[in-house]
Amino acid sequence: MRWIHRLRSLFRRHQFERDLADELTFHVEMRTRENVAAGMSPEEARYAALRQFGNLGAVREETREIWGWSSVETLFVDLRFGLRMLAKNPGFTAVAVLTLALGIGANTAIFSLIDAVMLRSIPVREPSQLVLFGWKAHKDPSYEEYSSFGDCSGGERANPSGCSFPIPVFEQMRSAANAFSAVTAFAGPAQFDLSGNGHAVIARGGLVSGNYFSTLGVSASVGRLLAPADDTPAAPPAIVLSYAYWQSAFGGERSAIGRTIFLNRVPFTVVGVAEPSFTNLTPGKGQDFWLPIAMTPRLDIAWGHRIQGLDNWWLVLVGRLKPGVEMGQAQAAANLIFRNQVLHGSKPISKPEDDPQITLTPAQEGLTGQRGELSKTLYLMMAAVGFILLIACANVAGLLLARATARQREIAVRLALGAGRRRILRQLLTESVMLSAAAGGLGVLFAYWGVHAIIALASGHADRPFPFVVSPDWRVLLFTIAASLATGIVFGLAPALRSTRLDLTPALKETGSTGAVHRTPAGRRFHLGDALVVAQVALSAVVLIGAGLLVRTLSNLRSVNPGFDTRNILIFGLDPTLAGLRQAEIQNLYRELQQRLAALPGVAASSYSADALLTGGLWTRDLHVEGQPEKATVEVDILSTGPGFFQTMRIPLLEGRMFTAADFAQAAKAGSSHETLSEANENQKAAGQNPSPKAPAPVNPPLPVLVNATFARRYFANQNPLGKGLSTGGSEGSSGDLTVDKPNAHSWEIVGVVGDTKNSSLRREIQPAVYVPLTGGGAYFELRTASDPTALIPAVRAVVNRLNDNLPLFEVRTQTDAIESLISQEHTIASLASFLGLLGLLLACVGLYGLLAYDMARRRREVGIRMALGAERGDVLKLVVGKGFKLTLTGLAAGIGGALALTRTLSSLLYGVRPADALTLLMVSLLLITVALLASYIPARRATKLDPMVALRYE
Amino acid sequence: MANDRLQGTLDLLILKTLAREPMHGYGIALRIQQISNDVLRVEEGSLYPALHRIEQTGWIKSEWRDTESKRRAKFYKLTAAGRKQLAAEEENWSRLSAAVAKVLRFA
Repeated sequence: MRWIHRLRSLFRRHQFERDLADELTFHVEMRTRENVAAGMSPEEARYAALRQFGNLGAVREETREIWGWSSVETLFVDLRFGLRMLAKNPGFTAVAVLTLALGIGANTAIFSLIDAVMLRSIPVREPSQLVLFGWKAHKDPSYEEYSSFGDCSGGERANPSGCSFPIPVFEQMRSAANAFSAVTAFAGPAQFDLSGNGHAVIARGGLVSGNYFSTLGVSASVGRLLAPADDTPAAPPAIVLSYAYWQSAFGGERSAIGRTIFLNRVPFTVVGVAEPSFTNLTPGKGQDFWLPIAMTPRLDIAWGHRIQGLDNWWLVLVGRLKPGVEMGQAQAAANLIFRNQVLHGSKPISKPEDDPQITLTPAQEGLTGQRGELSKTLYLMMAAVGFILLIACANVAGLLLARATARQREIAVRLALGAGRRRILRQLLTESVMLSAAAGGLGVLFAYWGVHAIIALASGHADRPFPFVVSPDWRVLLFTIAASLATGIVFGLAPALRSTRLDLTPALKETGSTGAVHRTPAGRRFHLGDALVVAQVALSAVVLIGAGLLVRTLSNLRSVNPGFDTRNILIFGLDPTLAGLRQAEIQNLYRELQQRLAALPGVAASSYSADALLTGGLWTRDLHVEGQPEKATVEVDILSTGPGFFQTMRIPLLEGRMFTAADFAQAAKAGSSHETLSEANENQKAAGQNPSPKAPAPVNPPLPVLVNATFARRYFANQNPLGKGLSTGGSEGSSGDLTVDKPNAHSWEIVGVVGDTKNSSLRREIQPAVYVPLTGGGAYFELRTASDPTALIPAVRAVVNRLNDNLPLFEVRTQTDAIESLISQEHTIASLASFLGLLGLLLACVGLYGLLAYDMARRRREVGIRMALGAERGDVLKLVVGKGFKLTLTGLAAGIGGALALTRTLSSLLYGVRPADALTLLMVSLLLITVALLASYIPARRATKLDPMVALRYE
Repeated sequence: MANDRLQGTLDLLILKTLAREPMHGYGIALRIQQISNDVLRVEEGSLYPALHRIEQTGWIKSEWRDTESKRRAKFYKLTAAGRKQLAAEEENWSRLSAAVAKVLRFA
């Protein structure tokens, strides 16, 4: 009820004011009358009455506040007044708003990335009900094959865990109807050769169970989604497109529905398009379309054969909890089923002492995808922009402080007239929040621009576009508003507190802002100003040092010797297995292609390999090396190469010989099972899965292989590595469990040693590597060209199409581009950090400049006197620059201290440079001092130009 | 604490004064001063905020009326709720002063 009263009184404001004035006047009049009656003159009587009453203004203010004028009404008054004050000083306002807008904008930009990557909930119906199935055990179950697709973060070897399951487990979980309203499964995405829609292309398809869309609660944009009936072996093959792919590859045309396209030459009907918001379930993992799991055996996918058994773990399971069922209950139910299956089935694949368990986690949390990889970088950037905002705050606080001194008289007058201190504080804070609100508005614009710039920067060299949708939502909006308000209070509070704590008499007596020497209150105020500048310098030093370390990391990575000549190489991928070619055909195709490509004008040499060097992909496997203890295995890099690979890449032969045609013939004869080595899926590779190449039967002569220098040095330090044997073991698959059946029957024999190369990434230490002859599967071709490799792309496409027009080229790029994309994240954060560091430096220097310029204006008289008394210009210069220098050094020292404490968190991002890198510290110090001296020099010079006469007469 | 007590005292004095008859602010100040033989002087600066505060709590009401000298003034009047409050505060006060008196006598 009271607020109604207040509201009413708000409208009767004038009535109230009149009444209050009348009431108080009446009192004073009565008192005056009394005084007159006691014998005073009327004038005397009135003054006495007023004196006795005390501060009329304050009483009015207090009474007004009782009736609640304060909240709403004074806000309007304050806002109006604030606007006037800000408009009166357009220069100050512009600088403050711009500074804060940069800070808020940078924060909003990074926060919207964090929001997009980490905070946004998965785009499905009631995501909180969805749980991800995971397993853990003391030892890996004895599966035949295990595939993971980067949906969850996996466990280590000692305590394995994961989120891939075999089909029988999926089927059993679906029957746990008391815990889950539905359980669905998915895998991939896998790469498919998609034809029938223009040129054949490589597209990514996710394999999903029939209830995938209904379980998630996703609806169709056009047509229909996959249903359980589609997920049967006999069903007509159907696929559903993602909205983005429908738009990009089918032009968003409705006629796409019902069209037949071919996946690896198998006809599929497009039955529908998913809703636009459903881009992916796992953050950052996109796909172009979805197809039923039951279609897998019909398609030529590496892991497409024998998908059914309990020993092939490849499906990610997601369940929807029944309403009212706790996750713990569901987990217990699922665990019972799981243990029963793996421990007590007809063919147990785990032992009770390994204690296999099901772990359920909320899907939002468990499906990490690319989130984990990016989160560290993003939090780092968030810290950096947080520092920038602090610098901006300190900067504007400094400006406000200077201005508060100019407004000292105004504030003193208001205090004297009866304004409460809190009232003035509120007025000042309203002004600063207005500033920060304006800055927030402008900051949103900056953020919009900044996000696009960052994404452009991040995807400039990356293979794929930035896999997250960044768009402002309520969280970003809330963040910006909160940041703006907090900013306004943070930078406004200290100056406001300072300026309302005034000794009125001297402040009122003072003639103006340039007044006489400030003694007590002003002396303290300038300590605050100094502290603000020191803080700015320190914070910007921290950001600069961080940036410096990241820049040095980038340049270190760029100057890594990769062991081969990276210039003028064109790379492209081919996967003839998707087009249905058999191994012998593939071999002929490669041979033919190699010759024709080498014959192209401008091509110096050409070759191919299962992986291109420094493109991120890499196989490793366990081997037994001759001379090592029996049963001991070592993990080595492994690369299947075509003829002439080392010559093309310009990798030197150190000992022995290269592969010969006879070697390739022998490898081809040794078994078609080698195919699996290169046939495997891109995603398996990314997840670090080991391939399962079958070793040639031991009765055959050992296959000639090459090793790198590191291999030779590590395992044959004082021996000749040539002729030494390597065993790949009999049982394959589970990487930890290599059993060497016949240690003496070596499957491979070293015939040559080549120079070391960086294989998968620039950061990775060079590992022992083994090179084997490539005989089939997909491959990357490498062309050594005489000039710009990209000019050859059309000719290369033409050559491939002439040989087989159903072979899409993928990942066509130069070696240097591939390397750039490997370090694109480093590139992005180094650029971003440098930008932020320089921004911080700029702000800090503006702050320093402002402080010194203001200081000089205030001390004009003092300087005038000094000069009149014979001080040289040099002395004055020293006075000002000396102060700037002192402040900078103090800030720098604090900044270096802070950096030493903080940069340790960077260490996992650094390469070839320690967090406490002396050179970086030195460079940053020099840069900061130079710029700070420049910033101090301008006001100093102005001070020396002072005419002592003018300065002295100034007052 | 001390402030609360004093504030409470001023409220009590105002309520008690108004219990006899409606009165304007100046009259209240005067009356308190007179009755207490000049011992209690109401600080005029705090009287009006106090009156407005009490009015907001609903213990007193105000209206504009003419004084005996035909001058318009704002008169305050005790409400029913105010009477109840006064009784409670009087009770409170006498208990407190009795206690203080006892302490002064025997301590």
